[in-house]
Amino acid sequence: MIALDDVSKRYPNGTFALRDVDLRIDSGDFIFLVGASGAGKSTLIRLLIREELATTGRVVVDGEDVGRMPRSRVHRLRRKVGVVFQDFKLLPRKTVAENVAFALIVTGHEGRLVREETERALSLVGLTARRDHFPSQLSGGEQQRTALARALVNRPRILIADEPTGNLDPVTSWEIIKLLTRVNDLGTTLVMATHNAEIVNALRRRVVHLDHGMVVRDEREGLYAA
Amino acid sequence: MRRVGYVLSAAGQGFWRNPVMSLASTFTVTLMLLLFAFFLTTDRGLQAAVGVLESKVEIALFIDDNAKVSEVLALKARIEADPAVSRVDYVTKDQALKRLQDIADRRKDFVLANIDGNPLPASLEVKLSDARQAKRFGDELRAEIGGGVIADVIDNPQVVDQLLTITRVLSVGGLAILAMMLFVALFVIVNTIRIAVHARRDEIEIMQLVGASDAFVRWPFILEGMLVGTLGAVVALSIVFAAAGPVTGAMLDFLVTLPISLGPEFAFQLAASVLGVALLVGAGGATLSVRAHLAK
Ligand SMILES: Nc1ncnc2c1ncn2[C@@H]1O[C@H](COP(=O)(O)OP(=O)(O)O)[C@@H](O)[C@H]1O
Ligand SMILES: [Mg+2]
Repeated sequence: MIALDDVSKRYPNGTFALRDVDLRIDSGDFIFLVGASGAGKSTLIRLLIREELATTGRVVVDGEDVGRMPRSRVHRLRRKVGVVFQDFKLLPRKTVAENVAFALIVTGHEGRLVREETERALSLVGLTARRDHFPSQLSGGEQQRTALARALVNRPRILIADEPTGNLDPVTSWEIIKLLTRVNDLGTTLVMATHNAEIVNALRRRVVHLDHGMVVRDEREGLYAA
Repeated sequence: MRRVGYVLSAAGQGFWRNPVMSLASTFTVTLMLLLFAFFLTTDRGLQAAVGVLESKVEIALFIDDNAKVSEVLALKARIEADPAVSRVDYVTKDQALKRLQDIADRRKDFVLANIDGNPLPASLEVKLSDARQAKRFGDELRAEIGGGVIADVIDNPQVVDQLLTITRVLSVGGLAILAMMLFVALFVIVNTIRIAVHARRDEIEIMQLVGASDAFVRWPFILEGMLVGTLGAVVALSIVFAAAGPVTGAMLDFLVTLPISLGPEFAFQLAASVLGVALLVGAGGATLSVRAHLAK
């Protein structure tokens, strides 16, 4: 589903964010990307959705060479990959339902499909009752669930979460993690960058450890620290 | 429909989100279009005038409406005796009007202005065998103006020359000014749209993240640019057509003996060109602006 071959990323200012990374993620996998701040987790994620291009090496997502893909095809890649971030990135002047429907409308869907798929995504994350609230009226966990519903509403094959619990308290974090595992159980490949040792240790999923841009550890059923 | 609705409402919102900027750029576009319309009209008017004059003879003596036919014939005989003259034709008032009407019927670019009666004078049309004598000949006859027979001496090659010079100056100067205004209008639209893009950068970021195509991101802004252009065109054309009457009158005064004005066909061409330029500038400026943002 995802493959990185010998990938390095050097930013224009000279920083090497990734060095010779080899990584294979199968369809349906659940992997944690761990490592200190600045280790290169977000950079790796940006390569997967082509927000950045690898300096050397090859990034393949769902059979497509992301680096060689013409710009005109990038939006198709993004529809296959849902993303959530630490800072939610919701539109403050739209309601919960509108924020979720937005992802469908701007990808060219209309009419009944938008309504039905929006409701499905909202009920998946348990926000049906909050559908007409604005983000400012929601708790952090509810905001992240809205972002999650938006990432899932186009039924992506891959879901990427960059420190999704970074701004949340432990209890709320667990709500989000439960949702993510459920999404993974339904067949979506899941990549999650995190600092949360408790969660990583409790779930015992595959752990890929980055340090200064290099993969220093890759374990099935791993722990946060070796 | 929702998609079209989204794009349209986003474009409209964009326009009113920053009304001062939007109206300022509309105003700039209006100015640019007014200049464009002005040059187009003058150019066409002058071309039409030149076309008519060129089809005429070299020197025309306008006959006083009160002159007797015998006096005119005596004058004709006297002129024919001049060795520099090869031929003299007597054109009555009715023939003059009929001829102009014929030219107007043949040419599509102007129509006969609405006139009461017949403002055209009768004339003697003189062809010279020696063009170098034109000045001497003209000056001699000009001395007789006001004597009851000759009302005016029109030296056509000279008038045509003057008109051609005006046309040339206008088109070169006009093109330069127009190019400058076009640049200014484009610049203002690029900036208006840049501000609109900046105001919606979060929305754009999310659109791109969830997989909206570039075209989808671009359209509302391009429409917003076209909206600015269209508004500018509507204002400019309203002014042009409101001013058309007085301006045509002034032009008729200027060209005294040529009761022509630009026809409805030209009005349509003018409206289409102005709107076309407006849409191009609006869409072009917006495209430049959004492209620059998306390329980042
Ligand atoms: N846009 C950028 N330009 C330059 N350097 C960057 C940029 N983004 C990240 N970096 C650098 O790349 C390294 C990896 O950053 P990042 O991928 O954000 O790490 P993480 O997400 O693991 O904290 C860091 O040293 C960071 O400073
Ligand atoms: Mg990060």
